[in-house]
Amino acid sequence: MPETNWNVIQNDFLQALLASNQVEAFQITRRVLSDNVSMIEFFDRCITPSLEEIGARFENLDIFLPEMVEAASIVENINREIIQPEIQKTVHDSDPANRLLPLGRVLLATVQGDLHDIGKNIVATMLKVNRFEVIDAGTNVTAQNIIAKARREEAKIIGLSALLTTTLPYMKDVVDLLVGLGLRDKFAVIVGGAAVTPEFAKEIGADGYGRTAADAIQVCKTVLGIIVAGG
Amino acid sequence: MRQRTPEEYTYMLNVLDKAESGPIIDQKEFDNICIHSKIKQLVDKYDIHFEKEKSVPADERLADRLFLAGMELALETGVYCIDTQRQMRWNADELDWIIKCTPSTEVLGSGKDSVTILKRRPGDTIRVSVVGGPSGIPVPEDLFESIMLSYAQEPLIDIIDDASLLRTHGRPIRAGSPWEVVGCWQEAKMIFKVLERANRPGLAIGCAENAPTALGEIATTTYGGFRLTDWHHNALISELKTTYSELIRAIQYTQIGCRSHGFYNPIYGGYAGGHEGVSIAIVGGLILMRACYGATTMNAGPSHPHLSCDTHPDLLPAQALAFQALSRNTNLLIANFIRPVAGPCTKDILYEVAALTIASVASGISLVEGVQSARGINSAHCSGLEARFAAQVAHSCEGMTPADANLIVRSLVSKYANRQKELQKGKSFLDIYNLDLVQPTDEWRDVYEAVAQELHTEYGLLLED
Repeated sequence: MPETNWNVIQNDFLQALLASNQVEAFQITRRVLSDNVSMIEFFDRCITPSLEEIGARFENLDIFLPEMVEAASIVENINREIIQPEIQKTVHDSDPANRLLPLGRVLLATVQGDLHDIGKNIVATMLKVNRFEVIDAGTNVTAQNIIAKARREEAKIIGLSALLTTTLPYMKDVVDLLVGLGLRDKFAVIVGGAAVTPEFAKEIGADGYGRTAADAIQVCKTVLGIIVAGG
Repeated sequence: MRQRTPEEYTYMLNVLDKAESGPIIDQKEFDNICIHSKIKQLVDKYDIHFEKEKSVPADERLADRLFLAGMELALETGVYCIDTQRQMRWNADELDWIIKCTPSTEVLGSGKDSVTILKRRPGDTIRVSVVGGPSGIPVPEDLFESIMLSYAQEPLIDIIDDASLLRTHGRPIRAGSPWEVVGCWQEAKMIFKVLERANRPGLAIGCAENAPTALGEIATTTYGGFRLTDWHHNALISELKTTYSELIRAIQYTQIGCRSHGFYNPIYGGYAGGHEGVSIAIVGGLILMRACYGATTMNAGPSHPHLSCDTHPDLLPAQALAFQALSRNTNLLIANFIRPVAGPCTKDILYEVAALTIASVASGISLVEGVQSARGINSAHCSGLEARFAAQVAHSCEGMTPADANLIVRSLVSKYANRQKELQKGKSFLDIYNLDLVQPTDEWRDVYEAVAQELHTEYGLLLED
């Protein structure tokens, strides 16, 4: 496919996402993929740059959380309904299409005693647009329930949020409970939220800390060994 | 001592009924449809458009349209009760009654230390009241008294708002656990000692800062603990949500006649949308805190999603216009909530404080509240000096019109806006106050005096002692 067409396609796809037009985004995807374009190429030249643009627009507050959530949801649906079924049918371990598989499953929760969820929702959306699977356990979740859900969902990462200093001890509970249950090596634990500092994250033995949603993506990639720390 | 009337108590029972009988709605649907779509629609319907570059809008018709938009948000969206997953709604008659019967004064504190908070309008010369304190910034136990004394000793501070304790008796404070009660009792005991040391025993205390649930608040508002004349808090969770815990506080305050203050921090770029949507959310939210909690004072502290402050240039006009809308059309006793990015011992914290204070006072607020320095998250990064500065700036601009304020605020914004991303947290109280004398160090005093001088020479503002 000529280079100029990719620019047009990517722009159309981006506009469909920004307009929350799922029908149009699905049509573009099906049309392009039916034209003997590989899924990798479609991902690299259409989905990834569109999502990067949406993330950048949110960072600049040119768009707002609901628009970003909606765009992420459309891409999630395209991934689930079109891309993943094809990949599952055809890929082998050595196939380059393997890199389109989700990077990892992250369970997110606001810890016990804390009902704030907007920060967590922003992180969830940013992770989704960066190809992580996100299980949102909600707010005010006890350490026991967080761990039970992480086990049930086979998450690789547990992401914890807290806005209030008085709910920070419940973050430590999650780490302590994982240690006590002999599960510490099964999950990476990352923490964030207004009340959390890097020092606190270190003190409780978390594997990573993110101040912003953008940080959370890097931290998740780091703890999964996808990028080296600081990379 | 003011007593609540039977009518007020009956009204609060009706509020509790709303949490049990309102329509059931999924929380995501509430966020997306009742908040986001509704606010977008109101922006267009009432033509709520203003330039972010104009720090203090001075368009009275726009302010009045914003009031109508906020009223419509309050009317059609109401408050979401997370525990019951129900939408609590007020009809137009109820909201009109609430607005009509709002008291235009409130007395906090007692005896010689009491303060009467007065309703103000944009450009009013009426004296603004000042709440000074770290407002929940976490501090170590051994620094709590010194830090709080640094505020209580400031004569321009009319009400004091506590810090939170990092630990209580060496133990972590856990929300909803017995340690919350222990922490709140320690807070009460220590702050009373502070008031004695400052010789201001009747000063109203913003409390309980270690009570994320109703447990700590109710346990300590009793004999030997916090008093009815103190300033008891109730929160709306973003956006426009409440919980049983908050409603428990509200009915308790009504029953025993506590002074009740509501606070609400809409998220910029979240479900409320951009600066125009945030201004509608502030108006609706402050009306709803009167409706839902019976609060007699209320503040908004919108939060920037990446910087966690409310002094970002985009947020100043949103707050100023919302304050004008409310102060022009209601008797609500409204407050700002100063949460700068920068911390103590920097010039930027003072520029940020001055910008929001001038924008708010000129827009008709009754109470200046702050300073939650360095975004409120850095342990012990706070001091009484920045609160003294907020009070001085507030009094220096009483009588200033929004149009005049705009010129000054725009200039102040240009001094700090480009550095906000650097997140200058400044210095800890330990490094900027002499702990024996509880006085600022020369370094911090020099920074303060330099900025005070700038305000005088560049804008003609004279800070009173």
